[in-house]
Amino acid sequence: MEMHSDKTTAEKLAERNGITFYRINSNKFKTSRADVFFVDNLSKERASGNAILPLMMKRGCKSYPTVKELESKLEELYGADINAGVSKKGELQFIGFHMSHISDRYTKGERLFDQCSDLLMCMLENPLVEEGGFKDSLFRQERDNMVDYIRSKVNDKMRFSLTRCIEEMCADEPFSIPEDGTEEDVLLLDPKKTLAIYEEMIKTYPAYVYISGEVDDKSIQRFIDSFMASVDRQNIKKINLTNVYKDVRKVRKVEEPMDVSQGKLCMGFRTFVEPTSDEYYPLVVYNGILGGDAHSKLFRNVREKASLAYYAQSVLEKYKGLMLILSGIEAENRSKAEDIILKQVEAMKEGDIAKEDIEATLKSLETGMKTMQDNQVAIVDFFLSQHLTESGEDFDSMIEKLRAVTLDDVVRVAQKVQLDTIYFLKPDGSRIGEEEI
Amino acid sequence: MKYRTLTYDELGETIYEYEHETGMKVLFVKKDGYKKKTAMFGTNYGSMDSVFKVKGQEIHVPDGIAHFLEHKLFEQEDGNMLDKFTSLGASPNAFTSFSQTVYYFSCTDMFEDNFRMLLDYVQNPWLTDENVEKEKGIIGQEIRMYEDNADWRVFFNLLDCLYVKHPVKIEIAGTIDSISKINKELLYDCYNTFYTPSNMAVVVVGDFEPESIFSIVDEMIHFKNTGKVEKKYPDEPEEINMEYKEQKLAVSMPLFNMGVKDNARLTGFELLKRRIALGIGLYHTMGRSSDLYSRLYEERLINDSFQFDVSINKNYGYLSWGGQSPDPKKTAGIISEAINEVKSKGIGKEAFDRIKKSQEGMFIRSLNSVDNIARELMDSYFNDTNFFDVGRAYSEVDIDYTNSVFREVFENRTALAVINPL
Repeated sequence: MEMHSDKTTAEKLAERNGITFYRINSNKFKTSRADVFFVDNLSKERASGNAILPLMMKRGCKSYPTVKELESKLEELYGADINAGVSKKGELQFIGFHMSHISDRYTKGERLFDQCSDLLMCMLENPLVEEGGFKDSLFRQERDNMVDYIRSKVNDKMRFSLTRCIEEMCADEPFSIPEDGTEEDVLLLDPKKTLAIYEEMIKTYPAYVYISGEVDDKSIQRFIDSFMASVDRQNIKKINLTNVYKDVRKVRKVEEPMDVSQGKLCMGFRTFVEPTSDEYYPLVVYNGILGGDAHSKLFRNVREKASLAYYAQSVLEKYKGLMLILSGIEAENRSKAEDIILKQVEAMKEGDIAKEDIEATLKSLETGMKTMQDNQVAIVDFFLSQHLTESGEDFDSMIEKLRAVTLDDVVRVAQKVQLDTIYFLKPDGSRIGEEEI
Repeated sequence: MKYRTLTYDELGETIYEYEHETGMKVLFVKKDGYKKKTAMFGTNYGSMDSVFKVKGQEIHVPDGIAHFLEHKLFEQEDGNMLDKFTSLGASPNAFTSFSQTVYYFSCTDMFEDNFRMLLDYVQNPWLTDENVEKEKGIIGQEIRMYEDNADWRVFFNLLDCLYVKHPVKIEIAGTIDSISKINKELLYDCYNTFYTPSNMAVVVVGDFEPESIFSIVDEMIHFKNTGKVEKKYPDEPEEINMEYKEQKLAVSMPLFNMGVKDNARLTGFELLKRRIALGIGLYHTMGRSSDLYSRLYEERLINDSFQFDVSINKNYGYLSWGGQSPDPKKTAGIISEAINEVKSKGIGKEAFDRIKKSQEGMFIRSLNSVDNIARELMDSYFNDTNFFDVGRAYSEVDIDYTNSVFREVFENRTALAVINPL
């Protein structure tokens, strides 16, 4: 039974000096949000400077100059939330600022959107500065925090192996730059240089703004009119497309020892598929069949049949056209696991794909597309992706495109996929048998 | 069909409660406009149920067996349930916690078929010597993964500090050694003891009508075993096990977890009130608007990773907090001083009202998620509470009560667990 669907859409409201405002239409949530994304090309010179900006903004603004004052204000606004951080999609870096609060229906008459928006704008437009730079004492703390944060990435071994694999694989491409830059680049920052990057961000970076939840038209208009109103925005930066092509001559093998119990295998592949190409949809299906869900070839063969791992999965990086296969295994099982994984990749190329597997994958992708619409943050991320690639797709049309994918399409994509790098985080042996002690 | 309807206007939510003839409860929450539909079938049986009676005789089962059973239930004589759910477009999963094992799926279409499958397979274990042995490799790697997870390790080391005897300190997945002792017969003993209607519940959340859910439950529930479960937990001393525990792992900076045990054993509305009051007290002491937080952050003794948690349940309770710190012992000392100050001064009215308002907002916010509502409904039911009563409980928590429970809990000694870099 197909229910008449209420479509989730992003309606373009205004465009001004490189800022585009959208309204997300979906009224079932108990919260309202404003999400702002500034975009820059990912580069070694700028990544760390961009990444420290959210940390500086979270320390307060002119009207609320301490964390204590800022957080107390947010508590008064029924636990409203203002957050900021960086992320990357392909070779683009996003500096995101996010505001959310509970809908006015639950506040006994208090109206929150305007108040919360003012707070967000205060943080964005009036950060804590002194003598032509960010406030020095705060800046030092946040710079040191950032170094600590970058170093602490080793704590999560699964993510660490993924990041290391990408760093090795894309060593001479911008994609190898982590979303928050590197320790050495962070240490080159000072309050003045960083404030200059901030000025560039608010004046020249293209920006996408999404408003969602139950917000009345008047408040939305007020938001649009006042957002960056005091900023002289011009010479809007041009955003580059991410290059997905690279000549792979030889598979690179990297092994790093560490004092860990479990080995982490990460295999990096290039798909040579651009996010805007017609082949993108078959690629998504390909990835689902190979390593997406519990029905996938990797899950069945590495985990269920060979009992080698608890997890074995593949993930796509849409914008760079990469596929990464991840698994946690005993060091001694490494070649066995690699063989099984490569055999599955080979089977995909040969079209050894059961009809049920392609159907299950399509259903699972469709379910994913539909349930994404039950999450406000996921909706915003979805539309941001569409707007970046200038694709006019919405959830429903994307489901249609996925449904149209055939076995032949999948095999065609499978034949393009090439192994580039194998990374292994290897237990150095000192932890074996520890549980007996 | 008789069922109870409870409407919570202030939250914009309605809960439908149905009792199956076996006594098993079915809870349903209708979420208008949501595409996702989730169903959970759970038993009030988790990692801490390691000692129980089988045919009058007390047995002690290997650590990690509830979790092992969770893995094995997916395997059926005619194939793996994971495949069957995914072939219908559903996303199946399960989790084992200290006190629960919950099987669930979420989907957008073909809910009824998926729901029937869920109710069916959980009632029909299919265990063989071979499939039990095979699972040891998979779970072994799950255990290995957690051995390298510093956040997880520091948390369990804290529980080991806080609890002398209580089995909440047992590792949920067990150890490589303990799971090697698990066999088909022990798994059936556990299954037959704890997978009975009086110990289980069904939770459904999504945009559809309640009757359809309840009639599928009537059609599908056919438990042969309807015995009553007798759970026994050792008497936990009021004192903690040890003050400090340290471990070394491949991390960049020390990591700490500090906590205190709550010895009160409550259920129902009183449990909710206590949880809320302790949450407000802890938030006031170390939340982002506190003087303590600003001091520790500015002295760089903590960073953005700092978090705290209130876990107050029917059979155990603790408060915990921690994160990365270059000097956990010094940080712990400053935190203890701040706790003592809040204990002696109490929370003022301005701070109390503000924090309560903020926490109520966070509760409303949590109702955006179908998955979260389902998890909380199940957890609340097994704690003999009603999840949506949280709203009403907030209005009944006042300053005096908050100050008194905060003081009471912090009469107990705190403990500190630290992970140091190699």
